Amino acid sequence: MQTNEFLQAMILTELEDAVGAENCSANPIDRVTHSVDYYWLSRMWADRGRRMPEADIVVSPKDAQETAKVLKIANYYKIPVTCWGGGGGTQGGAIPVCGGIVLDTKRMDRIYEVNTESMYIECGTGAIYKHIEWAANEVGMATMHYPSSLNCSTVGGFLAHRGIGVVSTKYGKIDDMVLQMEVVLPNGDIIHTSPAPKHAAGPDLNQIFIGSEGTLGIITKAQMRIFAQPEERRFRGFLFQDMHAAFTASRELLQKFKPSVMRLYDPAETATLIKKIVGVEKPGAFMNVAYEGCREMVEVEERILLDTFHKYGAEDLGSEYGEKWWEEKITFFYPGHMMDLPQMFGTMDTIAPYGKIEEIYDAMKDAVETNFPQARFIAHFSHWYEWGAMVYDRFIVEEEHVPKDPVEALRLHQQIWTAGVRAAIAHGGVVNDHHGVGIKLGRLMKEQYGPAMQVFEGLKRQLDPNGIMNPFKLGL
Amino acid sequence: MTESSKKNVDSCRFCWMCRHICPIGKATGQERNNARARALGLSLVNRNALGLAEVIDNLYECACCGACTKECVTGWDPMLFTRQARLDAAMEGVLPEYIGRLVDNCLETGNAYGITEPEDFVQMEIQKHEKQEEILLFLGVDARYRAPLAAVNAIRVLETAKVSFTVLEKEPASGWQLEYLVSAVKETKEQMTACAKELNRFQRVVVFDPQDARICKREYPEWGVELTAEVVTFTAFVAKLLKTGALCPQNRNLTAVYQDPFQLARELDETQPAREVISAYAARREMLCHGKDTMWAGNLLMREWMPEVMLLVAADRIEQAERAGADAIVTASVSEYASLKAVKQDKIRILSLEELILGE
Repeated sequence: MQTNEFLQAMILTELEDAVGAENCSANPIDRVTHSVDYYWLSRMWADRGRRMPEADIVVSPKDAQETAKVLKIANYYKIPVTCWGGGGGTQGGAIPVCGGIVLDTKRMDRIYEVNTESMYIECGTGAIYKHIEWAANEVGMATMHYPSSLNCSTVGGFLAHRGIGVVSTKYGKIDDMVLQMEVVLPNGDIIHTSPAPKHAAGPDLNQIFIGSEGTLGIITKAQMRIFAQPEERRFRGFLFQDMHAAFTASRELLQKFKPSVMRLYDPAETATLIKKIVGVEKPGAFMNVAYEGCREMVEVEERILLDTFHKYGAEDLGSEYGEKWWEEKITFFYPGHMMDLPQMFGTMDTIAPYGKIEEIYDAMKDAVETNFPQARFIAHFSHWYEWGAMVYDRFIVEEEHVPKDPVEALRLHQQIWTAGVRAAIAHGGVVNDHHGVGIKLGRLMKEQYGPAMQVFEGLKRQLDPNGIMNPFKLGL
Repeated sequence: MTESSKKNVDSCRFCWMCRHICPIGKATGQERNNARARALGLSLVNRNALGLAEVIDNLYECACCGACTKECVTGWDPMLFTRQARLDAAMEGVLPEYIGRLVDNCLETGNAYGITEPEDFVQMEIQKHEKQEEILLFLGVDARYRAPLAAVNAIRVLETAKVSFTVLEKEPASGWQLEYLVSAVKETKEQMTACAKELNRFQRVVVFDPQDARICKREYPEWGVELTAEVVTFTAFVAKLLKTGALCPQNRNLTAVYQDPFQLARELDETQPAREVISAYAARREMLCHGKDTMWAGNLLMREWMPEVMLLVAADRIEQAERAGADAIVTASVSEYASLKAVKQDKIRILSLEELILGE
């Protein structure tokens, strides 16, 4: 549909009526701030003095009812709606590439209930996760969801792209932390998922919307799990000279108990980021393990950990490096502590069973380093299961090798991503582990899923027949 | 824009790590209300992709409370570029009309509100202390013109403690309002210098308003304004009166939390005196964000152009106090007291430190 100044003004008044004039804006500052997220390409574009695609109107509803009104208006006029939480995503999922409406969820930040009997906090999905953590801490509990973006990202943002935190190995991913959700469908209907997350009442509605990146509806409220604070949390640093030994040791450990933190850094990342932030000077692959809970259990777990890792030749570095890492776990995310413009970089996290993960790491490293000699490749493995692990591969291109022309820089960035993620898929990995798909990886979803993609496409057609919800994201 | 400001802008433009502690962003839920949004806007201005006039309103949605600066582990300072951009806007003549009007008021009357005389009942209390003493009680523009009961209560606390002090009938502007509005212009320094000259007639100056305390104790030395008088915050002075027995505390049967003014906590490193006073009169608890991590509860100056947002900011802080299990919030800032009082609610009492002491 073609819009014009008159129609735009008419639509604006309808949206103002829905959410209040003060929560509806077409001002440049609102449009600009909702056009650049944490995606390298959007940052590079802005750094070169270019304006990213902007929404025509930014709206901030306060609850599901107001969200429903906005979606009904958008559906009537067939206007694209892109959902924006904290904007801290790395995949371009929140960028309004087709203009239209950006629906900012942050006014939906109410904490409705802190339930210490059933161990959850019910909140609006616009709540910043750190604020949920504060609410849990006030009653002596914790959310145990600690990603680097804890301070700035929303509950809905983490749900929308299936986020993960640093203590996931024990407590789970964001998709393990939800009990029930309220979702506004594209037609404006407000629905609730099952009252309990484990059931035999058909497929899991939660898991249909978690990870859907705003393409199937907007999650407006959620019950997020909370946990008792551990009586004790201990850390132990290790140095492996052989990555294979580290994998074998870790797999064996996970058959015995679940540590909260397990992070294995390859020799390249140990020699750079870990040396800088944590101070490990020796060559090798650094691994940090944390274990926590009741004191007696922690004692036993520590014994098992030391015995298991000793068997595979790990050098015990004591607790100091691990504690330092814990203190600095979010520091990595502040400017000046990690990669930043004018460097080009990307995180190609993927996940696979143990039988494939080493091969995937080697294949991705080879795909990046062989095809793009100007790129460095570093990696760590930071979320572990009984059956497999996640590899957090990163490529870095130094300033002198980054094309000056932004379109050329975009092209090189895309090529490296395609090569790296294709290598992962070819060797049994997944398009992404916990940053989501966004506009960055949509094209590769079809390559991974093949005919299975029709399940997502069918859902999209049924729920969003006008295709207004976050167009060109998730490959939909 | 200076190179230093540009460097800070470019460091903050893609970083949201201080979002959770921005009192305005937390209250409004608007993406533009955080340091990153201001930095991103200014970075595009610096790259000629956006005009300064298009981001200027956003620059005046910041309280310059310094929570973001305190939070940044790298040491970037969003206040630096916010103030610098306001100065640039003043120099380029693109200040919003509503700010220009307040600046004009500051220059004409010494206060942004454009008021020339305090209300009669305040004037009467002030006139009782015309006589030159060694100690000056400096009330500040907010207490004199916008929260006159606070001014009267401040005077009464010192009277109760039998302190001999002067209150100036014509009090000079300390310069904090002008510094906030347009930063380091010539006129700001002229106000500061004139004020210091007046204060220097006394041995000791008890500064009632934390906004004035910050400017006198921290900014005057930075700006090269000579201040020979000893400047003491009202909170520190009252805590000392308690210690010396000049004030006799009574149990008010309250559980209170203290709303640390950021000017005292973060900028002057003063968090304990008010707590000592509160503990003498009430059971004391802490809110989650307190001390140097305090979350600002609004002010009177910004109420001039964003009154609804001030209500949201104050309401947010009241909610935090409630969650701490308090039945009263005690403030040491005239401005925060007025902001908190403006919220219609009956769940928690809002008391100034003076009201707690006087039992009113």
